Amino acid sequence: MSPTQDLSHMSEAELLRMEREIAARHIDKFPYFAVFWAFSNFFVWLSLWPLVFLGIIPLWLGFIIATVNITLSYLPSHEAQHDIIAKPGTKLRWLNQLVGHISIIPLVLPYRVAKYTHMEHHKHANNPEKDPDYATHANGPLDAIWKSLYYRQPRAKGGLNAYGEALHRIGRSDVVLDGVIYQIVHFGILFALAWSGYALEAALLWWLPRHIGLTYIQYYLSWAPHHPGDKSGRYRDTRSFRSILGNIGSLGMQYHIVHHLHPRIPLYRTPKAYWEMKPILEARGCDVEAL
Amino acid sequence: MIQVLKTIFYFGPLLFGFGFLTPLVSQSIVAVGWTPPFGLTPLVTGLLIGGTLGIIAQIRGRWI
Repeated sequence: MSPTQDLSHMSEAELLRMEREIAARHIDKFPYFAVFWAFSNFFVWLSLWPLVFLGIIPLWLGFIIATVNITLSYLPSHEAQHDIIAKPGTKLRWLNQLVGHISIIPLVLPYRVAKYTHMEHHKHANNPEKDPDYATHANGPLDAIWKSLYYRQPRAKGGLNAYGEALHRIGRSDVVLDGVIYQIVHFGILFALAWSGYALEAALLWWLPRHIGLTYIQYYLSWAPHHPGDKSGRYRDTRSFRSILGNIGSLGMQYHIVHHLHPRIPLYRTPKAYWEMKPILEARGCDVEAL
Repeated sequence: MIQVLKTIFYFGPLLFGFGFLTPLVSQSIVAVGWTPPFGLTPLVTGLLIGGTLGIIAQIRGRWI
């Protein structure tokens, strides 16, 4: 099928069948790179601490690498959240869960919190009452960055602060404890390092890179693919978009619409699946004009 | 236990101001070689700046 083919004459059932056939070709492919990415990224971030403390690399270089590390830490866990590495009950399920837990430690986001709230996002994308990521909606790029920072403030009612409410709503209040423990350990480590004479290292290897990383992630994973975010429904709540930083610079999110339609397609296969599906998405009236 | 945790999190900005910003400001002053005015030590200066920011954030409920 050509990406420019007109399928508007086809029935709903035919479009759905074709879409599912394409998705099936991309699902159940083991994401080797995501697994390598998860462990290597975490290892590099951990290794920055002794490298900087021993003066092997300067702190400014450690800061840049840590910022890249933490920005890249979410996506392997995202693959695990959707059971892409291994489904429940399979031989490699332990690896799926290990990647899910390990990769987002630098982001101070517990895997279970991320998974349950992310599933709610998929179920209720763009719903102001039920989408845990709704607070990232904004009028434009600068407003999106501002909203990301604003809703991270202590008494803000959205952003990561809204995750607790979402967990209570779905009856998983027990998972809130994961977030509490992560926060206490995170700040405990920061305070201990700071009062031991390593405040600059703590700030530039973890605290500030985490805030930069969270802003970048919320911009490209939450705001950009859902903007303007005023519609809901399977073919309306997400779009494709063109980033000035390209698909890699936007953390692979230019083709996010494919992820929302078929969440078990690995990230690295979403561009290919998108171009195969594009005529179907156009026939459905999806917002895919940018690419 | 839940009440204790809620109290800790409620006073988060204040704790962050004194627990992290104070030593951060103090060590930043030393790192750039700045001499605080009025004979203040870097630690006292850090305490004044970090503590003040923490108190303001505690009252306003936000840092920015």
